[in-house]
Amino acid sequence: MITLTHFLIVSACLFSTGLYAVLARRNAILVLVGIELMINAAILNLVAFGRYDKALYGGQVFALFAIVLAAAGVAVALAIILNVYKYYKTVDPEDIRNLKD
Amino acid sequence: MQTYPLLAASLAIMLPFAGFLLSAICGKRSKNGVIAIITISLSLLAAGYTFTQVWDNAPLHVQWHWFTIGQQAFHVGIWLDNMAVLMLLLVPLVALPVHIYSVAYMKGDPGLHRYWMYLSLFCFAMLGLVAADNLLLMYCCWELVGFASYLLIGFWFTKDAAAQASKKAFIINRIGDAGFLIGIAIVYSGFGTVDIQALFGPQGLLAQSTVAGGQWLVPSISMPAVWLTVAGLAFFLGAMAKSAQFPLHVWLPDAMEGPTSISSLIHAATMVAAGVFLLVRVFPVFNETTLMVIAGVGTLTAFIAAYFALTQCDIKRILAFSTISQLGFMMVGVGIGMSHVSLFHLVTHAFFKCLLFLCAGAIIHEMQHLNQKHQLTIDPQDIRNMGGLGKYMPITCATMLIAALALTGFPLTAGYLSKDALLVHAFEWGALQQGAAKIIPYMLVIVSVLTSFYIFRLLFKVFFASPAYKQPIGMNVKIKEASWWLLAPMLFLAACSLFPFFTVNPLNDGEVWLLQGIAPLPTLPPLRLLHLAIPILTTLTTLLVVVVTWHWYTLGKYPLKTGGFFYRLSVHQGYMDAFYHVTAVQPILKLSRVLVWVDRQLVDGLVNGVAALGRTTATLAGWIDRHVVDGVVNLIGKIAWGMGNVLRRSQTGRVQYYFFVLFFIILVVLLYHIIVQA
Repeated sequence: MITLTHFLIVSACLFSTGLYAVLARRNAILVLVGIELMINAAILNLVAFGRYDKALYGGQVFALFAIVLAAAGVAVALAIILNVYKYYKTVDPEDIRNLKD
Repeated sequence: MQTYPLLAASLAIMLPFAGFLLSAICGKRSKNGVIAIITISLSLLAAGYTFTQVWDNAPLHVQWHWFTIGQQAFHVGIWLDNMAVLMLLLVPLVALPVHIYSVAYMKGDPGLHRYWMYLSLFCFAMLGLVAADNLLLMYCCWELVGFASYLLIGFWFTKDAAAQASKKAFIINRIGDAGFLIGIAIVYSGFGTVDIQALFGPQGLLAQSTVAGGQWLVPSISMPAVWLTVAGLAFFLGAMAKSAQFPLHVWLPDAMEGPTSISSLIHAATMVAAGVFLLVRVFPVFNETTLMVIAGVGTLTAFIAAYFALTQCDIKRILAFSTISQLGFMMVGVGIGMSHVSLFHLVTHAFFKCLLFLCAGAIIHEMQHLNQKHQLTIDPQDIRNMGGLGKYMPITCATMLIAALALTGFPLTAGYLSKDALLVHAFEWGALQQGAAKIIPYMLVIVSVLTSFYIFRLLFKVFFASPAYKQPIGMNVKIKEASWWLLAPMLFLAACSLFPFFTVNPLNDGEVWLLQGIAPLPTLPPLRLLHLAIPILTTLTTLLVVVVTWHWYTLGKYPLKTGGFFYRLSVHQGYMDAFYHVTAVQPILKLSRVLVWVDRQLVDGLVNGVAALGRTTATLAGWIDRHVVDGVVNLIGKIAWGMGNVLRRSQTGRVQYYFFVLFFIILVVLLYHIIVQA
């Protein structure tokens, strides 16, 4: 039977993959994909733990909110990336170092 | 009834002081000397009245409370006995002619107002000295006399020699003052009083004191007998400086730098007389030893001063050494115990020495006129430049001759009475002495011959020898007799230098009223033969010397070579000044230089050292401030800067790197929570 632990493991794998993508990818789009993976890992946790709230389904509801918010966030992030691309002519995070001291 | 003499005496003393104050207030307006002359005349009148009232009567004494130290009250007062009133009369009697003489002599001097002021102060100080009833007051007046003489000797202080001479007189007198003060201190510690009458009177404490077994027994106290000698010698030291006794005589010849009228006063009644008067006053304190010292020093002084006078060429210097010599005679008089004869000689000497100086002044005055009229530059005081003045100045010549005869002790003069009396008493005293003391009277006879020699040398060179000044100016010499302002005082003093003023019998000093008035009861055993032999001997030798000097100096047949050792010794006054220069002046200068060095190097060095230390400390503090305090602050700044510089590297600007760090930190926090809380 599939227990909570299995969910958590899958979630952790997802999170780690996302984290890897965020830290290591050379493309801002793929970094955004990594962030989405990490958000989905978190949402998976919400859903998994939502099993313990049979009355209100708080977990499931909160997951839906989070998916919507993530979609909005992705839209915004993609707009930023587009602008960045327009400005820098690149989407490689390594090449954008204006935050440097 | 007895108030009036005391009042008159106080007046006689205070009037010159009033004259001094008035002159000082009037300042430069009082140039004619009216104030000084009026006050001294009134003083003379008051003193004359006092004299007639007190002489040969009971002494008068008045005193007022002065101040109190502990239980001891000090009084200030006037003690009038025969001795005091005699001096009280003598001082204005000699000072008045000098005052009158000064009117003409000092005419036109730019500092004349000071002159009259100082003159009054001088007279006041001396009058106060003779009438003082205690040693402390006497000492005050003694100092005043010294101070006034300092001012007057240095009257022409713009002349370097005068300024030096006044300093010399003052410094040498300080030595004597110290002696006087020590004497007072010893007497005071022994007897607890400084009252002259209580100490030295006929029933005084000193008369009651005895010396037994090496102790000086006083009714209330005893102390080692040596203190009696020390006290006597201390008093004598005071008199030695004041009365110019060898070896402290050196100031008197130099004091000739003052105006001649002042010299006459210093030499006659005011300055040098003070020393002899002091000795006569404190006579009971002298014991055998001290008296012998006094007689010895007096004889030595009389001899060497007469010896120095032989070759001097400055007319005033000759007279100065003559004074020193005569003061030596007076000291011998005190030393042989005949202090009243000393005082008598002081009185007669005052007249004829004052006269000699006034004559010299008149001569110098004329020589200066000669200088001005003929545009000469001869020294007006050098007797080698004079000669033949007797023709032009007969009255001056006559009065000076009288004074010279009085100085040599020629019969019919006052000097005969006093000087021969001294000589006779010296022989009487010598007859009682053992050993070397016997030569003292013989020395005095030699001195007396020398005296005749130098004074007639002076007279003949000045008045009778062929004139030295004729050579440059030819026969047209315009020398006049001195004016009557100068002559009148001289004639008056000449009259006083003759015998009628003192006795009716010109040949016997025993009948002098003055001596009878002040003679103490015990006298030396008289040797009748001497009273005849000594005067004849001195008169004959004087005549012989007159003949010799006439031949040598008037007729110009001087037989001796000049330039021998004894001649040079005399000319240079025994090299005393050189001796003092080497022994006293130079060591003091050297000491001063050493002290200057100490001051410069040690005292200043200490101050500079402290300053340098302060500077070094400040530098050190500055260094610490700059390097330690500032250093800490800078170090903190540097650390902050350095840390910032290191941490700056973390700002790579790479977004993924920031992410990584973020996650890493969260991971660490999580791990921490897991490990610690597990």
